[in-house]
Amino acid sequence: MKRRHIIFLTAASVAVAAALPAAAQTSAAATGAAYPARPIRMIVPFPAGGATDILARALSQKLGEKIGQTVVVDNRPGAGGTIGADAASKATPDGYTLLLATSSTHSIGPAINPKIPYNAETDFTPIAYVASSPNVVLVPNSSPARTMREFIDHARKNPGRLNYASSGNGTIVHLTTEYFKAQSGTFILHIPYRGTALAMPDLISGKLDVLFDSFVTGMPHVKDGKLRALAVTTLKRTALAPDLPTVSEILPGFESVTWFGVYGPKGLNAELTARVNQALNAALADPDVKERFARLGAEPTGGTPQAFAAMVRTDNAKWKKIISERKITTD
Amino acid sequence: MDLIANLSLGFGVAFTPINLMYAFFGCVLGTLIGVLPGIGPVATIAMLLPATYALPPVSALIMLAGIYYGSQYGGSTTAILVNLPGESSSVVTCIDGYQMARKGRAGPALAAAGLGSFFAGSVGTLIIAAFAPPLTELAFKFGPAEYFALMVLGLIGAVVLASGSLLKAVGMIVLGLLLGLIGTDVNSGVARFSFDVPELTDGIGFVVIAMGVFGYGEIISNLSQPEHEREVFTASVTGLFPTKQDFKDMAPAVLRGTALGSALGILPGGGALLSAFAAYTLEKKIKGRPGEVPFGQGNIRGVAAPESANNAGSQTSFIPLLTLGIPPNAVMALMVGAMTIHNIQPGPQVMTSNPELFWGLIASMWIGNAMLVILNLPLIGIWIKLLTIPYRLLFPAIVLFCAIGVYSTNNNTWDIWMVAIFGVIGYVFIKLGAEPAPLLLGFILGPMMEENLRRALLLSRGDWSVFVTRPLSAGLLAAGALLLVIVLLPAVKNKREEAFVED
Repeated sequence: MKRRHIIFLTAASVAVAAALPAAAQTSAAATGAAYPARPIRMIVPFPAGGATDILARALSQKLGEKIGQTVVVDNRPGAGGTIGADAASKATPDGYTLLLATSSTHSIGPAINPKIPYNAETDFTPIAYVASSPNVVLVPNSSPARTMREFIDHARKNPGRLNYASSGNGTIVHLTTEYFKAQSGTFILHIPYRGTALAMPDLISGKLDVLFDSFVTGMPHVKDGKLRALAVTTLKRTALAPDLPTVSEILPGFESVTWFGVYGPKGLNAELTARVNQALNAALADPDVKERFARLGAEPTGGTPQAFAAMVRTDNAKWKKIISERKITTD
Repeated sequence: MDLIANLSLGFGVAFTPINLMYAFFGCVLGTLIGVLPGIGPVATIAMLLPATYALPPVSALIMLAGIYYGSQYGGSTTAILVNLPGESSSVVTCIDGYQMARKGRAGPALAAAGLGSFFAGSVGTLIIAAFAPPLTELAFKFGPAEYFALMVLGLIGAVVLASGSLLKAVGMIVLGLLLGLIGTDVNSGVARFSFDVPELTDGIGFVVIAMGVFGYGEIISNLSQPEHEREVFTASVTGLFPTKQDFKDMAPAVLRGTALGSALGILPGGGALLSAFAAYTLEKKIKGRPGEVPFGQGNIRGVAAPESANNAGSQTSFIPLLTLGIPPNAVMALMVGAMTIHNIQPGPQVMTSNPELFWGLIASMWIGNAMLVILNLPLIGIWIKLLTIPYRLLFPAIVLFCAIGVYSTNNNTWDIWMVAIFGVIGYVFIKLGAEPAPLLLGFILGPMMEENLRRALLLSRGDWSVFVTRPLSAGLLAAGALLLVIVLLPAVKNKREEAFVED
């Protein structure tokens, strides 16, 4: 009786653990002996259930269809994404291990943290730029500013009196706001939180004056009338909210996006890189992916591996400059 | 009569055969994973998340909510039977629940936990239905200063909570605070005490410490005793159901726990956990009837109150999620993920844009709780049979399941090693006679307290008076000071030490 009980428990837990990959495998018909002959692992360096994970799962499903093999998401969270990225950099470059990287693992992380265990530029093979997601400038309803211009004036008139929230020191929210302060010549005090969701009650109740939140977490509060959105941080207006002006309409050239891209380990050959790049671009062109990305506040991008590498270099250089100018350190 | 109209809409949605089936499936699965030490709801929901994509959104959320409640029931079962808290909120249940099991009263302890949870869950559901929007306003009143004051009160409560030596309790809290310092500091981004190990920059996981100290530590200490001296408390299981006196003792405790839990659950951040600790502390302060079993030795109030409180708290913690879109804990964060998959943007607009989903979920919370009582009360006998499994089978199974569970949270072997290390540390604690519950509270509250203190001072531009000029914060601090005075008063102190003479 008791033994059967334990066996049942074990079987149930094994079944839960096995169900997903098994179910996924049946749908994947192997197309031939050539690459990909077995399931491809896509390392997601963030926890299951988060925005990056959901984006990766939407992408991996379509990528699997286009490449003719199952793509299994492998969550390896920790240390702001560096643990998963490090694992990917050390994998065999055979095309069976891919990494869904973000700006925090490959442009901001390396720019701010010299102790990162990998070299973001030389330890990986860039494959494709997948998506970009804007940040949105939010103010509480009690704020006197109704436009970006008014907010800048308000901040200039009250130097050191306003507060802004961030998701922690050295995160994109922090760096974007510092970039904004440098460009607009304002002084707003930094109040770090462990994630912007935790800052929401303090922002809504007016204890904080501004938050450059990610689009997907910020907009629901705007739609509900609890906060006002002043602008987005993309260079051009985003298709996600065409009515919202951009910060760059006031501060020319201002741009800050969270990007998502796929890398392979260092030494992935040109043929495999091209094959995965093609499949990724085909997946990104799919209307279903576009729609699922839009729900996450992200726009599909795509393009060549070279264009991806160039974008990351520019982004990294921009953050490096801001970090040194604003004397931002994590030590 | 909006409330009735809304609830009937909800029950209309939830009472369809298909949704009842998903609720049932979620509850069964949740109980199973809750009973298995180590495999928590977070890992299960994360694994099932993609599978729910094919389901209608209401059914998917009903099933996931069922897993959440089921695992909490299951979690208190392991807390009582094998002294292993599956979730942070069942840490206090271990204290008296396990002692009851040792005395052969596992049945009444499980029943008290189950019935208390059901009552609290029902009240919590009604509160959500009736007061969700106005209660959200309360959360806005809580700024960093108020949170800091609440944490101070919590830590003072932890000292009061500890049984046995006061010095050891304070020592354990401080050790917990120090362990909580490990990891990246939010304000400066500096990785503290990480020794350049990337895994340590996220700090040490709660699950790692709880499993190591409570689970592995207990096992090591049991194995270190000669065979004939090992605890075998299964032979003497008397009565599966609580006696009349038990009911008399637990009823007021359940009521107090429910009230406290409902109130604290609304605050974002650790609602269920804080309410369980607070309810236990409160129960200890309330004088029991003469001849009652002392706390820490198997008092049924010490099981009923925190279990009701954490269930009420986890129920009302849906309020910040559903009205503000703020997930109060990891499971809720996953529910946000689930909603996003189904194209529902969690947040204030859910109530108006998807009323059938909102009220259906609320109705299914109650149905889930009812199902769990029906499911679990007859099963108590089976759970207790778990105790009759010989240790040579039970121990390796617990060690294995803990290892699987902790690996599945991050897919990283590092965590397994950490559990092993904390197992040895836990064994040392047992040898030293130091209780680990205050350590966990210090570990969780410490970093939150530091963050809120620094945040409050940043917002006030360095002016310490904010803590006393804001009425809520001042009130909480005054309550803390009062509690401290009571504990330190010579009369109370002597009595307290009398009550907790170590057995």
